[in-house]
Amino acid sequence: MIENFKISLKEIDKINLINQEDKNYRIKNLEFFNKKGFPTKKEEDWKFSDLREIFSKNFKKIDINDTYPEENKFRLIKEFDHNYILLINGRLIRSDFKFEDKNKIKITGYKEENFLREKSNNPLICLNNALSNEGYNLVVEKDYKFEKVLVIYNLFNEDLSEKILNNKNKIIVKKNSELHTIEYTINRSKNKFFNNTYENIILYENAKFKNICIQAGRSEGYFHKFLNGSIKSDSKYSSFIFSSGLKFNKQDIKIDLEGKNSDCEIKSALFLNKEDHQEIKTVVNHLVPNCKSFQKIKSVLDSNAKGVYQGKIFVKDIAQKTNAYQLSKALLISENSEFDSKPELEIYADDVKCSHGSTSGNVDENSIHYLMTRGLTKKEATQLLINGFLKEIISDIKSETIKKFVENKLEFQVYGY
Amino acid sequence: MLEIINLKASINKRDILNGLNLKINPGEVHAIMGPNGSGKSTLANILSGKNGYKITGDLKYKGENLKDIPVEQRAQKGIFLAFQYPIEIPGVNTNNFLKTSLNTIRKAKGEKEIDTLAFLKLVKEKAKELGIDEKILSRQLNVGFSGGEKKKNEILQMKILDPNLVILDETDSGLDIDALKTIADGVNSSRSKDKSFLVITHYQRLLDYIKPDFVHVLSSGKIVKSGSRELALELEKKGYKKIN
Repeated sequence: MIENFKISLKEIDKINLINQEDKNYRIKNLEFFNKKGFPTKKEEDWKFSDLREIFSKNFKKIDINDTYPEENKFRLIKEFDHNYILLINGRLIRSDFKFEDKNKIKITGYKEENFLREKSNNPLICLNNALSNEGYNLVVEKDYKFEKVLVIYNLFNEDLSEKILNNKNKIIVKKNSELHTIEYTINRSKNKFFNNTYENIILYENAKFKNICIQAGRSEGYFHKFLNGSIKSDSKYSSFIFSSGLKFNKQDIKIDLEGKNSDCEIKSALFLNKEDHQEIKTVVNHLVPNCKSFQKIKSVLDSNAKGVYQGKIFVKDIAQKTNAYQLSKALLISENSEFDSKPELEIYADDVKCSHGSTSGNVDENSIHYLMTRGLTKKEATQLLINGFLKEIISDIKSETIKKFVENKLEFQVYGY
Repeated sequence: MLEIINLKASINKRDILNGLNLKINPGEVHAIMGPNGSGKSTLANILSGKNGYKITGDLKYKGENLKDIPVEQRAQKGIFLAFQYPIEIPGVNTNNFLKTSLNTIRKAKGEKEIDTLAFLKLVKEKAKELGIDEKILSRQLNVGFSGGEKKKNEILQMKILDPNLVILDETDSGLDIDALKTIADGVNSSRSKDKSFLVITHYQRLLDYIKPDFVHVLSSGKIVKSGSRELALELEKKGYKKIN
C-alpha cells in the first residue's frame, strides 16, 4: 500500500550527468521524503488536503515515470496566434517562437545548475529535489516585449498509469521585458498519475509576467505545483487559475515582493464537481515598502467536491505603505460539497492597508426563483448564476480572443460535464 | 383566464390569505388595492409559483390546475410577474438573459428559436418604445440599475416575452411621474382581447394611467369589496379603514 511508500535510492542512479555533490543533495532529499512520506492533515500546510489519505484511497502503487514518447497527433489551438513550447510528461520536446525575435529568448530543457540547492521541509518539494530531471528553462532577455502569447502545452500521454512525474521549470523575465503565457494542460491518460512540479519565476526590474493556467478537459491526474516567485522593483506578476476538472490539484504559491513598487495579482475561478479536490495556497511576502498584492479566489462546488483556499499575507517591518487585499468567495451548490478557507495576515509594519474577506454560501433562492419566472428551469437558472459568479474573474483578461477562449472552456466546465 | 376559488395561504404557520376569490376573463384589467400586510404580494408570489407557502383552495389558469404547474412552466404557458423588487444577478448579461428567456418560452410554445440578430432588433425596438437606454441592456442584470430602470426593465421583459396573464406587483412604487407614465404606456399598448392584467398597488395614482375594468379591495387576506374604477377614487378619499 501507498501508506508505506518508499522510493529506492537506485532511482537517483538513473539520472544522467550529475556530479557527486548533486547526487548527495538528491539522496538527502529522498531520504527526507522516505522518512516523512506523503504529507498528512497533521501538518498545518496540509490540514485540509490529507494527501496520504487521498493517495492510499486511490493508488495501489506509484512508480517513477521513465517514458517520454514523441507526439504525432498533437494539434495547436486555432483560436488565436501564439508561440508555443510543447512538454510531454514534463519533458521539453520542442518550441516555436515564430512571432518573436529569437535572439531575445532562450529556451532549454532541464539543467541542474539552474536551481539552487535549497532546503525544504515540504516532503513533496524534497521528492521533487531528489528526482527532477525534466522541465524547461525560459529566459526573456532585457528590453523585450513578447508580440504574441506563449502557450505552454503541458501534455500527458496515454500510457501514464500509477506513475510519479517530477519536473522543474524556471522562467526569467529580465529588465523592462514582458511575457504572457497560457499553461494549457492536455491529459490523454485515462489512468491515475501524479505530477509534482517545482517552478521558479524571477522578474527583474520593470518586468511584467502574466500567466493563465487552464485545462483542456477533465482529467484523472493528481497535480501538485510549488511556485517560488521572486519579484524585483517596479515589476508585476499576475496569475489566473482556471484549473477545473482535475481529480486533485494543489497550487502552492509563494511570492516574494523584493523590490519597491512591485505588484502581485492572483485570481482564480474554479468549478469543482464529482469528488474533485483542489487547493490553492498563497503566501505573499511584502519585504520592502510600497508594494501591492491582490488575491481573488472564486470557487463553485458541486457534488462531493472539496475546495480549499489558504492565503497568507506577510508584511515585514520595513514594508511600509503596503497595499494588500485578499478575497475568497465560494458558492456551494451541493449539500455534499465542502469549502475550507484559512486567511492569515502577519503584519509587522504600521503604515499599511491590508485586509481580507471570505464568504461561502448557497445559490440564492430568490435569484433562482426570479430566473425561473422567466421560463428557465432550475438547472438552467443555477448554471446561469454559476457562470455569472465565475465570469467576473474572466472579465479581467484583456485580450478579447483569449477571454473568449477561456470563457468557452469555463462554459464547458459548467454546462458540459 | 384566471380563476381563484377560496384561496387560503400561510407561511410559517401565519395565515396570510383567508379565502380569496377572483375571476379574471381574457382582455380584462383588474386592480387589487390594499394596505400593507393585506396579502397583495403573497398573492403575486403564489401565482408565480414561489415555494414556501402552504396553500388550499383552487387556482385555475386557462382551465388548468395552476398548483400542478412548476414555476418555469407557468412562465412558458404565458404567466408573467413583474417583481416589486427585481433581483440583481451579478455576472449575467441582461441581453443574454433576455434572449435565453425568450427562447425557452418560444421553444415551449413550439416556435422556432430567435437568432441573435433578430433578437437584437426586437429588443432595440421595444427598448425605444419604453425610453430605455440601450446601454443598460449590455450591463449585468439589474446590477446597479436605478429603481426606475429596474421597473422599466421588468416591463421590457413583459413586452418581449409577450405573456397572456401579467401580474404587476407594485410596479409603481418608487417611481417618478415620468417613469410611471412610461410604464403605464408600456402596459396600455400591450392591452388586447386575449391578454389579462392583474395590477397590484397601494395607490390610486397608477390607476389614473392604467385604467382597470375592475377594482378589488384586499384586506386581511380577503377581497372585501369589488367595484369599478370609481372604487379606487373612493378609497383615495376615505382610506382603507372606512371601506372595511
